[in-house]
Amino acid sequence: MQATEAVKLLLGIGEPLIGRLLTYDALGMRFREVRLRRDPNCPLCGTSPTIKDLSIHHEGAAACAITPNGREAAAAPARTGA
Amino acid sequence: MKTLKEMLAEARQVIPEEGPADLQRRLASGEPVTVIDVRDPDEFRDGHIEAASNISRGFLEFRVASAVPDPKTPVVLYCQTGLRSMLAAKALHELGYEKVINLQGGYQKWAQSGLPTVKEATLSTDQIQRYSRHFLLNQVGDKGQRRLLRGKVLLIGAGGLGSPTALYLAAAGVGTLGLMDGDVVDITNLQRQVLHTTADIGKPKVESGTRTLKALNPDVNVIPLPTRITVDNVMDVIKDYDLVVDGSDNFETRYLVNDACYLAGKRNVHGSIFQFEGMATVFAPNEGPCYRCLYPTPPPPGLVPS
Repeated sequence: MQATEAVKLLLGIGEPLIGRLLTYDALGMRFREVRLRRDPNCPLCGTSPTIKDLSIHHEGAAACAITPNGREAAAAPARTGA
Repeated sequence: MKTLKEMLAEARQVIPEEGPADLQRRLASGEPVTVIDVRDPDEFRDGHIEAASNISRGFLEFRVASAVPDPKTPVVLYCQTGLRSMLAAKALHELGYEKVINLQGGYQKWAQSGLPTVKEATLSTDQIQRYSRHFLLNQVGDKGQRRLLRGKVLLIGAGGLGSPTALYLAAAGVGTLGLMDGDVVDITNLQRQVLHTTADIGKPKVESGTRTLKALNPDVNVIPLPTRITVDNVMDVIKDYDLVVDGSDNFETRYLVNDACYLAGKRNVHGSIFQFEGMATVFAPNEGPCYRCLYPTPPPPGLVPS
Protein backbone atom coordinates (compact mmCIF):
# COMPACT_ATOMS: atom_id res chain seq x y z
CA MET A 1 0.00 0.00 0.00
CA GLN A 2 2.83 2.38 0.85
CA ALA A 3 4.56 1.50 -2.42
CA THR A 4 1.42 2.19 -4.43
CA GLU A 5 0.98 5.54 -2.73
CA ALA A 6 4.63 6.43 -3.37
CA VAL A 7 4.31 5.58 -7.07
CA LYS A 8 1.09 7.62 -7.36
CA LEU A 9 2.75 10.62 -5.74
CA LEU A 10 5.79 10.37 -8.00
CA LEU A 11 3.55 10.20 -11.07
CA GLY A 12 1.01 12.76 -9.85
CA ILE A 13 -1.87 10.39 -10.64
CA GLY A 14 -4.98 9.21 -8.83
CA GLU A 15 -6.15 10.20 -5.39
CA PRO A 16 -3.43 9.86 -2.79
CA LEU A 17 -4.27 9.03 0.84
CA ILE A 18 -3.87 12.65 1.93
CA GLY A 19 -6.31 13.39 4.74
CA ARG A 20 -7.47 9.79 4.84
CA LEU A 21 -6.33 7.00 7.12
CA LEU A 22 -6.78 3.52 5.76
CA THR A 23 -6.87 0.81 8.38
CA TYR A 24 -6.56 -2.88 7.74
CA ASP A 25 -7.71 -5.63 10.04
CA ALA A 26 -6.17 -8.89 8.89
CA LEU A 27 -8.21 -11.17 11.18
CA GLY A 28 -11.53 -9.70 10.16
CA MET A 29 -10.14 -9.00 6.66
CA ARG A 30 -11.67 -5.55 6.65
CA PHE A 31 -10.47 -2.20 5.42
CA ARG A 32 -11.80 0.99 6.92
CA GLU A 33 -11.26 4.57 5.85
CA VAL A 34 -11.22 7.38 8.36
CA ARG A 35 -11.25 10.96 7.17
CA LEU A 36 -8.63 13.10 8.87
CA ARG A 37 -8.70 16.83 9.26
CA ARG A 38 -5.92 19.22 9.99
CA ASP A 39 -5.87 20.29 13.62
CA PRO A 40 -5.80 24.10 13.75
CA ASN A 41 -4.14 23.73 17.18
CA CYS A 42 -1.44 21.43 15.85
CA PRO A 43 1.88 22.57 17.33
CA LEU A 44 3.58 21.86 13.99
CA CYS A 45 1.18 22.64 11.12
CA GLY A 46 -1.57 24.54 12.96
CA THR A 47 -2.40 28.22 12.77
CA SER A 48 0.08 29.28 15.45
CA PRO A 49 2.77 26.65 15.48
CA THR A 50 5.17 26.29 18.39
CA ILE A 51 7.45 23.81 16.64
CA LYS A 52 9.50 25.75 14.11
CA ASP A 53 12.60 23.61 14.02
CA LEU A 54 13.76 20.24 15.31
CA SER A 55 15.21 21.53 18.57
CA ILE A 56 12.59 19.76 20.71
CA HIS A 57 13.96 16.46 19.48
CA HIS A 58 17.22 17.20 21.23
CA GLU A 59 15.34 16.78 24.49
CA GLY A 60 14.93 13.05 23.91
CA ALA A 61 11.71 11.08 24.09
CA ALA A 62 9.87 13.88 25.87
CA ALA A 63 10.03 15.74 22.58
CA CYS A 64 7.07 13.88 21.20
CA ALA A 65 4.85 14.82 24.07
CA ILE A 66 4.69 18.54 23.35
CA THR A 67 1.23 20.06 23.51
CA PRO A 68 0.46 23.50 22.20
CA ASN A 69 0.23 26.24 24.78
CA GLY A 70 -1.08 24.24 27.69
CA ARG A 71 -3.87 22.72 25.65
CA GLU A 72 -4.94 19.32 26.85
CA ALA A 73 -3.96 16.83 24.15
CA ALA A 74 -6.95 15.38 22.35
CA ALA A 75 -7.42 11.70 23.02
CA ALA A 76 -8.64 10.73 19.58
CA PRO A 77 -7.78 11.96 16.14
CA ALA A 78 -10.10 14.51 14.58
CA ARG A 79 -12.42 12.50 12.43
CA THR A 80 -15.61 12.99 10.51
CA GLY A 81 -16.90 9.48 10.40
CA ALA A 82 -15.58 6.40 8.70
CA MET B 1 4.53 34.17 -53.02
CA LYS B 2 4.73 34.92 -49.27
CA THR B 3 8.02 35.19 -47.49
CA LEU B 4 8.62 33.46 -44.16
CA LYS B 5 8.62 36.88 -42.53
CA GLU B 6 5.16 37.61 -43.88
CA MET B 7 3.85 34.22 -42.76
CA LEU B 8 5.14 34.81 -39.23
CA ALA B 9 3.67 38.30 -39.14
CA GLU B 10 0.29 36.89 -40.21
CA ALA B 11 0.44 34.24 -37.53
CA ARG B 12 1.28 36.83 -34.86
CA GLN B 13 -1.94 38.65 -35.74
CA VAL B 14 -3.99 35.76 -34.35
CA ILE B 15 -1.68 33.96 -31.93
CA PRO B 16 -0.84 35.55 -28.60
CA GLU B 17 2.63 35.00 -27.16
CA GLU B 18 3.61 34.43 -23.56
CA GLY B 19 7.06 34.35 -22.02
CA PRO B 20 8.60 31.55 -19.95
CA ALA B 21 7.53 33.15 -16.64
CA ASP B 22 3.89 33.26 -17.80
CA LEU B 23 3.94 29.58 -18.69
CA GLN B 24 5.59 28.74 -15.39
CA ARG B 25 2.76 30.58 -13.60
CA ARG B 26 0.11 28.71 -15.60
CA LEU B 27 1.69 25.37 -14.74
CA ALA B 28 2.08 26.24 -11.07
CA SER B 29 -1.53 27.42 -10.76
CA GLY B 30 -2.82 23.96 -11.63
CA GLU B 31 -5.29 25.34 -14.21
CA PRO B 32 -5.81 23.06 -17.20
CA VAL B 33 -3.24 23.70 -19.90
CA THR B 34 -1.67 21.42 -22.48
CA VAL B 35 1.94 22.07 -23.41
CA ILE B 36 3.15 20.66 -26.71
CA ASP B 37 6.76 20.57 -27.83
CA VAL B 38 6.63 20.62 -31.64
CA ARG B 39 10.32 19.95 -32.19
CA ASP B 40 11.72 16.69 -33.53
CA PRO B 41 12.03 13.76 -31.09
CA ASP B 42 15.83 14.03 -30.84
CA GLU B 43 15.60 17.70 -29.84
CA PHE B 44 12.92 16.78 -27.28
CA ARG B 45 15.10 14.03 -25.79
CA ASP B 46 18.02 16.42 -25.37
CA GLY B 47 15.95 18.56 -23.02
CA HIS B 48 12.36 19.74 -22.66
CA ILE B 49 9.82 21.25 -20.32
CA GLU B 50 8.59 18.47 -18.05
CA ALA B 51 4.89 19.13 -18.59
CA ALA B 52 5.21 18.97 -22.36
CA SER B 53 4.18 16.20 -24.71
CA ASN B 54 6.19 15.83 -27.87
CA ILE B 55 4.26 16.02 -31.14
CA SER B 56 6.61 16.99 -33.97
CA ARG B 57 5.41 19.75 -36.24
CA GLY B 58 4.90 17.31 -39.12
CA PHE B 59 2.43 15.19 -37.13
CA LEU B 60 0.72 17.97 -35.21
CA GLU B 61 -2.58 18.13 -37.08
CA PHE B 62 -2.84 14.33 -37.06
CA ARG B 63 -2.18 13.78 -33.38
CA VAL B 64 -3.40 16.90 -31.63
CA ALA B 65 -6.91 15.55 -31.06
CA SER B 66 -5.69 12.85 -28.68
CA ALA B 67 -3.45 15.30 -26.79
CA VAL B 68 -6.11 18.02 -26.55
CA PRO B 69 -9.56 16.44 -26.48
CA ASP B 70 -11.31 19.71 -25.60
CA PRO B 71 -10.66 22.54 -28.10
CA LYS B 72 -11.40 25.07 -25.32
CA THR B 73 -8.37 23.94 -23.26
CA PRO B 74 -5.51 26.43 -23.51
CA VAL B 75 -2.64 24.98 -25.53
CA VAL B 76 0.88 26.34 -25.29
CA LEU B 77 3.20 25.39 -28.13
CA TYR B 78 6.91 25.76 -28.21
CA CYS B 79 9.89 24.89 -30.40
CA GLN B 80 13.54 25.83 -30.05
CA THR B 81 13.26 29.60 -30.56
CA GLY B 82 9.53 30.21 -31.05
CA LEU B 83 9.26 30.42 -34.85
CA ARG B 84 8.27 26.89 -35.89
CA SER B 85 5.77 26.82 -33.03
CA MET B 86 4.28 30.14 -34.16
CA LEU B 87 3.39 28.63 -37.53
CA ALA B 88 2.22 25.43 -35.79
CA ALA B 89 0.02 27.51 -33.47
CA LYS B 90 -1.63 29.18 -36.44
CA ALA B 91 -2.42 25.74 -37.90
CA LEU B 92 -4.07 24.68 -34.61
CA HIS B 93 -5.99 27.94 -34.47
CA GLU B 94 -7.32 27.22 -37.96
CA LEU B 95 -8.35 23.72 -36.84
CA GLY B 96 -10.62 25.39 -34.26
CA TYR B 97 -8.54 25.31 -31.08
CA GLU B 98 -9.72 28.38 -29.28
CA LYS B 99 -6.85 29.29 -27.03
CA VAL B 100 -3.52 28.60 -28.67
CA ILE B 101 -0.52 30.41 -27.24
CA ASN B 102 3.04 30.50 -28.50
CA LEU B 103 5.88 30.34 -26.00
CA GLN B 104 7.88 33.40 -26.88
CA GLY B 105 11.59 32.64 -27.33
CA GLY B 106 10.86 28.89 -27.23
CA TYR B 107 12.73 26.28 -25.26
CA GLN B 108 15.95 28.24 -25.56
CA LYS B 109 14.58 31.20 -23.64
CA TRP B 110 12.86 28.93 -21.09
CA ALA B 111 16.17 27.18 -20.36
CA GLN B 112 18.12 30.45 -20.32
CA SER B 113 15.68 31.85 -17.76
CA GLY B 114 16.88 29.10 -15.42
CA LEU B 115 13.51 27.31 -15.44
CA PRO B 116 13.57 23.53 -14.90
CA THR B 117 14.11 21.21 -17.84
CA VAL B 118 14.32 17.47 -18.10
CA LYS B 119 16.51 15.36 -20.26
CA GLU B 120 15.19 12.12 -21.58
CA ALA B 121 17.56 9.22 -21.33
CA THR B 122 16.87 6.68 -24.04
CA LEU B 123 15.31 3.55 -22.61
CA SER B 124 17.32 0.44 -23.37
CA THR B 125 15.77 -2.60 -25.07
CA ASP B 126 15.78 -4.36 -21.71
CA GLN B 127 14.05 -1.44 -20.04
CA ILE B 128 11.40 -1.31 -22.75
CA GLN B 129 10.64 -4.97 -22.06
CA ARG B 130 10.92 -4.73 -18.29
CA TYR B 131 8.47 -1.86 -18.02
CA SER B 132 6.23 -2.88 -20.95
CA ARG B 133 3.27 -3.52 -18.62
CA HIS B 134 3.59 0.03 -17.31
CA PHE B 135 3.51 1.37 -20.87
CA LEU B 136 0.10 -0.26 -21.31
CA LEU B 137 -1.34 1.86 -18.51
CA ASN B 138 -2.55 5.23 -19.75
CA GLN B 139 -1.72 6.90 -16.45
CA VAL B 140 1.87 5.66 -16.49
CA GLY B 141 3.09 5.07 -20.03
CA ASP B 142 6.50 5.83 -21.35
CA LYS B 143 6.48 9.31 -19.84
CA GLY B 144 5.47 8.06 -16.38
CA GLN B 145 8.16 5.40 -16.47
CA ARG B 146 10.83 8.01 -17.16
CA ARG B 147 9.42 9.98 -14.28
CA LEU B 148 9.70 6.96 -11.99
CA LEU B 149 13.27 6.40 -13.18
CA ARG B 150 14.05 10.00 -12.21
CA GLY B 151 12.22 9.59 -8.87
CA LYS B 152 14.05 9.53 -5.55
CA VAL B 153 12.44 7.89 -2.54
CA LEU B 154 13.89 7.58 0.94
CA LEU B 155 12.83 4.49 2.88
CA ILE B 156 13.17 4.89 6.60
CA GLY B 157 13.47 1.39 7.97
CA ALA B 158 14.30 -1.79 6.06
CA GLY B 159 12.09 -3.95 8.25
CA GLY B 160 8.53 -5.25 8.09
CA LEU B 161 7.10 -2.24 6.24
CA GLY B 162 10.22 -1.04 4.44
CA SER B 163 10.96 -4.48 2.93
CA PRO B 164 7.86 -4.95 0.76
CA THR B 165 7.70 -1.26 -0.08
CA ALA B 166 11.34 -1.23 -1.23
CA LEU B 167 10.82 -4.37 -3.32
CA TYR B 168 7.79 -2.94 -5.12
CA LEU B 169 9.42 0.44 -5.71
CA ALA B 170 12.57 -1.20 -7.07
CA ALA B 171 10.53 -3.50 -9.30
CA ALA B 172 8.54 -0.53 -10.62
CA GLY B 173 11.77 1.19 -11.58
CA VAL B 174 11.95 4.07 -9.13
CA GLY B 175 15.43 5.27 -10.04
CA THR B 176 16.90 6.12 -6.66
CA LEU B 177 16.06 4.41 -3.40
CA GLY B 178 17.68 5.54 -0.17
CA LEU B 179 17.57 2.67 2.31
CA MET B 180 18.09 3.82 5.86
CA ASP B 181 18.36 1.44 8.81
CA GLY B 182 20.94 1.07 11.55
CA ASP B 183 20.05 -2.52 12.50
CA VAL B 184 21.54 -5.87 11.60
CA VAL B 185 19.47 -8.82 10.44
CA ASP B 186 18.22 -11.04 13.25
CA ILE B 187 16.69 -14.49 12.80
CA THR B 188 13.43 -13.19 14.30
CA ASN B 189 13.16 -10.64 11.47
CA LEU B 190 13.03 -13.19 8.69
CA GLN B 191 9.41 -14.26 9.13
CA ARG B 192 8.28 -10.90 7.72
CA GLN B 193 11.20 -8.76 6.56
CA VAL B 194 11.39 -10.16 3.04
CA LEU B 195 14.43 -8.14 1.91
CA HIS B 196 16.73 -10.35 3.96
CA THR B 197 17.66 -14.03 3.83
CA THR B 198 18.91 -16.60 6.32
CA ALA B 199 22.47 -16.08 5.09
CA ASP B 200 22.20 -12.39 6.03
CA ILE B 201 21.82 -12.95 9.77
CA GLY B 202 24.22 -10.62 11.54
CA LYS B 203 24.76 -8.38 8.52
CA PRO B 204 23.54 -4.80 8.31
CA LYS B 205 19.99 -4.68 6.94
CA VAL B 206 20.94 -2.05 4.37
CA GLU B 207 23.62 -4.39 3.02
CA SER B 208 21.29 -7.34 2.45
CA GLY B 209 18.53 -4.94 1.35
CA THR B 210 20.75 -3.31 -1.25
CA ARG B 211 21.82 -6.68 -2.63
CA THR B 212 18.22 -7.93 -2.90
CA LEU B 213 17.01 -4.74 -4.59
CA LYS B 214 19.89 -4.61 -7.07
CA ALA B 215 19.29 -8.27 -7.93
CA LEU B 216 15.63 -7.52 -8.58
CA ASN B 217 16.30 -4.46 -10.72
CA PRO B 218 19.81 -3.32 -11.66
CA ASP B 219 18.36 -0.01 -12.98
CA VAL B 220 17.82 1.17 -9.43
CA ASN B 221 20.47 3.18 -7.70
CA VAL B 222 20.22 1.97 -4.11
CA ILE B 223 21.87 4.21 -1.54
CA PRO B 224 22.56 2.29 1.67
CA LEU B 225 22.41 4.47 4.78
CA PRO B 226 23.53 2.16 7.60
CA THR B 227 22.52 4.43 10.41
CA ARG B 228 19.54 5.28 12.56
CA ILE B 229 17.70 8.45 11.65
CA THR B 230 18.39 11.13 14.25
CA VAL B 231 17.68 14.80 14.80
CA ASP B 232 21.25 15.49 13.67
CA ASN B 233 21.08 13.71 10.30
CA VAL B 234 17.42 13.83 9.28
CA MET B 235 17.34 17.18 7.46
CA ASP B 236 20.53 16.46 5.60
CA VAL B 237 19.30 13.04 4.49
CA ILE B 238 15.76 13.91 3.37
CA LYS B 239 16.77 16.96 1.33
CA ASP B 240 17.96 14.78 -1.56
CA TYR B 241 14.66 12.92 -1.99
CA ASP B 242 11.30 13.62 -3.63
CA LEU B 243 9.41 11.80 -0.91
CA VAL B 244 9.84 9.79 2.24
CA VAL B 245 8.36 6.42 3.15
CA ASP B 246 8.19 6.00 6.90
CA GLY B 247 8.41 2.35 7.84
CA SER B 248 9.83 2.99 11.28
CA ASP B 249 8.87 0.99 14.35
CA ASN B 250 8.82 3.57 17.13
CA PHE B 251 7.02 6.76 18.05
CA GLU B 252 10.13 8.83 18.56
CA THR B 253 11.19 8.27 14.94
CA ARG B 254 7.67 8.85 13.61
CA TYR B 255 7.44 12.25 15.29
CA LEU B 256 10.94 13.12 14.11
CA VAL B 257 10.23 12.08 10.50
CA ASN B 258 6.90 13.91 10.59
CA ASP B 259 8.41 17.13 11.86
CA ALA B 260 11.38 17.02 9.49
CA CYS B 261 9.20 16.25 6.46
CA TYR B 262 6.81 19.08 7.32
CA LEU B 263 9.63 21.56 7.80
CA ALA B 264 11.36 20.45 4.59
CA GLY B 265 8.10 20.36 2.60
CA LYS B 266 8.40 16.65 1.78
CA ARG B 267 5.49 14.27 1.52
CA ASN B 268 5.61 11.36 3.92
CA VAL B 269 3.98 8.02 3.11
CA HIS B 270 3.26 6.73 6.56
CA GLY B 271 2.50 3.17 7.59
CA SER B 272 2.38 1.20 10.79
CA ILE B 273 1.50 -2.29 11.89
CA PHE B 274 0.57 -3.82 15.21
CA GLN B 275 -0.14 -7.53 15.39
CA PHE B 276 -2.96 -8.09 12.89
CA GLU B 277 -3.73 -4.45 12.24
CA GLY B 278 -2.13 -2.05 9.88
CA MET B 279 -2.72 1.48 8.77
CA ALA B 280 -1.48 3.80 6.09
CA THR B 281 -1.87 7.45 5.19
CA VAL B 282 0.02 10.22 3.42
CA PHE B 283 1.10 13.33 5.25
CA ALA B 284 1.49 16.15 2.72
CA PRO B 285 2.66 19.50 4.12
CA ASN B 286 -0.12 22.10 3.91
CA GLU B 287 -2.36 19.80 1.86
CA GLY B 288 -3.60 17.69 4.76
CA PRO B 289 -3.01 16.82 8.39
CA CYS B 290 0.33 15.72 9.82
CA TYR B 291 1.14 12.97 12.30
CA ARG B 292 0.78 15.39 15.20
CA CYS B 293 -2.77 16.29 14.09
CA LEU B 294 -3.54 12.59 14.32
CA TYR B 295 -1.58 11.81 17.48
CA PRO B 296 -0.93 14.97 19.51
CA THR B 297 0.81 12.87 22.17
CA PRO B 298 2.52 9.50 22.07
CA PRO B 299 1.01 6.68 24.12
CA PRO B 300 2.65 6.15 27.49
CA PRO B 301 5.82 4.04 27.22
CA GLY B 302 5.11 0.34 27.63
CA LEU B 303 1.48 0.55 26.52
CA VAL B 304 2.19 -0.19 22.90
CA PRO B 305 5.14 -2.42 22.11
CA SER B 306 6.91 -1.36 18.96
